[in-house]
Amino acid sequence: MRQYVLKRLCLVVPTLLLISIIVFSLNHMLPGDVVVLMFEEKAYAKDLDALRAKLGLDRPLYVQYFSWLGDVVQGNLGESLWTKRPVVEEMMRRLPVTFELGAMGIIVALCIALPIGVLSAIRQDTLKDYAARSIAIVGLSVPPFWKATLVIVLPSIWFGWAPPLQFTPFAENPWQHLSQFILPALILGIAPGASLMRLTRALMLEVLRQDYIRTAWSKGMREPRVVLRHALKNAVIPVVTLLGLQIIQIANGTVILETIFGLPGVGRFLVDAMFQRDYTVVQGVILLTSSIIVVVNLLVDMTYAYLDPRIRYQ
Amino acid sequence: MTRQQAHPGPPRDVRRRDLLKAGLAAGVTLSTWPLHTPSVLWGAEAGQPKRGGILRVRGWDPVHFDHHLTLNFKTNTTLSFAYSTLVRYKVGVDIRPGTFTVEPHLAERWEQPDDTTYIFHLRHGVKWHNKPPLNGRELVADDVKFTYDRFITEPGNALRFALESVERIEVVDRYTVKFILKEPYVWLVNMLANPAGTWIIAPEVVQQFGDLKKAESVIGTGPFILERYEPNVKTVFKRNPDYFLKDQPYIDGVEWLILDDPSTGLAMYRAGQIDCGPAPWWSVRQQDLETLKKSHPHLVYQDFLSNVTSSVIYLRTDTSPFNDVRVRRAISMAVDRQGIIDGVYIRGEPTPAIARGATEWSLPIDQLGEGARYYQYDPKEARRLLAEAGLAKGFKTQINTTGGYGPDLLDAVQLVQHYLKDVGIEVEMKVQEYGAYMATTFLGKFEGMSMGPVSIAWEPDSVLYGMYAPDQPRNSAHVNDPKLTAMLQEQRRTQDLEVRKQLIFDIQRYVAAQQYYVYTNSNMQTGTWQPYVKNYAPNPSFDYGGRAAALWLDR
Repeated sequence: MRQYVLKRLCLVVPTLLLISIIVFSLNHMLPGDVVVLMFEEKAYAKDLDALRAKLGLDRPLYVQYFSWLGDVVQGNLGESLWTKRPVVEEMMRRLPVTFELGAMGIIVALCIALPIGVLSAIRQDTLKDYAARSIAIVGLSVPPFWKATLVIVLPSIWFGWAPPLQFTPFAENPWQHLSQFILPALILGIAPGASLMRLTRALMLEVLRQDYIRTAWSKGMREPRVVLRHALKNAVIPVVTLLGLQIIQIANGTVILETIFGLPGVGRFLVDAMFQRDYTVVQGVILLTSSIIVVVNLLVDMTYAYLDPRIRYQ
Repeated sequence: MTRQQAHPGPPRDVRRRDLLKAGLAAGVTLSTWPLHTPSVLWGAEAGQPKRGGILRVRGWDPVHFDHHLTLNFKTNTTLSFAYSTLVRYKVGVDIRPGTFTVEPHLAERWEQPDDTTYIFHLRHGVKWHNKPPLNGRELVADDVKFTYDRFITEPGNALRFALESVERIEVVDRYTVKFILKEPYVWLVNMLANPAGTWIIAPEVVQQFGDLKKAESVIGTGPFILERYEPNVKTVFKRNPDYFLKDQPYIDGVEWLILDDPSTGLAMYRAGQIDCGPAPWWSVRQQDLETLKKSHPHLVYQDFLSNVTSSVIYLRTDTSPFNDVRVRRAISMAVDRQGIIDGVYIRGEPTPAIARGATEWSLPIDQLGEGARYYQYDPKEARRLLAEAGLAKGFKTQINTTGGYGPDLLDAVQLVQHYLKDVGIEVEMKVQEYGAYMATTFLGKFEGMSMGPVSIAWEPDSVLYGMYAPDQPRNSAHVNDPKLTAMLQEQRRTQDLEVRKQLIFDIQRYVAAQQYYVYTNSNMQTGTWQPYVKNYAPNPSFDYGGRAAALWLDR
């Protein structure tokens, strides 16, 4: 197990390095130029060349990359080109909001996936099964931004009611703080929940047909014990892997939902930075989220190895 | 003497039919009564001012807080709550949207001893917000001088051109400041009233913070004190108890909320979570207007035309074929302005050089004289004019534009492309990234044609002189017409307001005939607010703070 974890850890370093190169180069390939955008305001330098030099963007791209990478290794993600505020500081203020939303989204996804997936499998081809699968298809098909818009717009037209759409810090009003996360978390969790539910159902069906389950039934075990203790534990291994991948979808979903629900998280910060071509912020945010996803995947692999001791790094 | 009737009829009793007719007539009269009441009815009905309450409205996240280092409206609108100007555009329910009349503000009066001297007398006892390093000290003439010296000398101030006529500013005494001009410039007072870049600041604050980019450096003399700034969330202002306008502000504070998503803003307004409309100028988008009126008829609505020309076709008038007036007129006549309004902007009006929303200065199209002809949609005449110019087979050109102003402009450009094709002009559309557009096309660096909006018209000089004087950076069409330049300079020197107004009208007629820029339309906008918001009227200026100080909440 230790060797497995060490080998997986060694892979993280080149993965992150590759991500840093992709993030850096793609960012500079975007159409539009922060220098031109900033110069429009005329407040930063006397001409475009002077501004480019002031921002250090006149150097060759590889020099800029290594200079940035050197700072990153020391924990310095640079400063916003516009506000001059440190990127790390800006992100630290916003990360808790995104984590909270993401964590609630994962909880929602699991709450949908596991019970409904299991129920759908043990009641295969019944009305309950069809209903669950149909709802899952709808959940997967409707994009989160559309669900969010409907959830906000329709009650306001029909009942003159809208969910809380202004951010309140936890310390100020804990109930209001939590209540404003409920709807976005539900919307965020539906699509990954639906994917996971379909997988859970399929794997449960496979496991429920195994000999050892038949043995368990024949021994007269009660249904909950057979299903939850013997079938689910074995069926859930690929679900954990898929959950790791769904976390990426959840992270992507926060970008648009934070904008719609007025939550000041990293996703919204990234959108603003992209519009302003604030390279250092975009690089910092993407590198950080990529790192989190890499770490989550590492944890998933480790969980996988824990759940099934036969799995070893080859 | 009573005149006898030759054949007197029978005595007339009051019949049932007569009574019904009379009743019907009275009913009709009474039912139409509200139509005849003046548009300031809500102001008249506002009753006695009421203290208290927090105004929650849609706001913007400023790029930073230094108004001398950005043109951005997000900064200027946010600062309008905390700062004041020397003079200002009048605020109140009796002000018709689109009128911008200058009134005293920090200066209680001003005088003009000659064409190049303006003397401003400051109010006594105006206090800065009670925050360090100012701690509520009194505003003095040195502060005004410091503000405008910084305005004029700060290399990063993109608005410096607005006061390019100012030679120097002198402090006469503690409460008197003098502006000495290089040449007569009658619009000086209007420029000082523009709620963009002209907020009065204190030297100690700049010394302490280095610049004014941080929220902590927002210390003004305005109606509200900046209490808290939460990036991406809101800016919170509290009432300034020492504000110099008597009794104002009536409300205890303002929450200036950052609402990036239009649907979210509208839902909050429908649900009563915000007090005024969620679109700019606290309005509602025309696309949402009908459904909002249907679901929420109790809200207050007021239409007004925008003082921004939504889309203008810029022509390189210094190059062929656009240096030929017949070609420019042909382009104007090929474009169906009403078609653009109906198809893209829903409601609005075709506009001359000054947007129709600037009601004091803008001429209706039918008063443009000869120029009015070229506003008619007449593709046949357009083809004839092109043939007369030797372009019977049409020609090919390009039109630069940007997606940075939103999808409406791109739709309008595509309609123009279609209209021009009908008369034989093949136009290739080039969509630029907003930054690239601003650095090139906006400043006249383009080939053929371009299309975009025109700056806000609070007074006519900036949109006329700026767009047509040969030495101006905003003269994107490269117009160099000595007769027009002379007219533009003359209006800048004309003290008599009525004479100046006629000059401005003449300029609009002249440029309508020349069609250096093909102006299309001004949009209709609809301001809206909750019925408990009293003593409020919209006006498309950045002075949201001034309007918020004058209103009260009667929930």
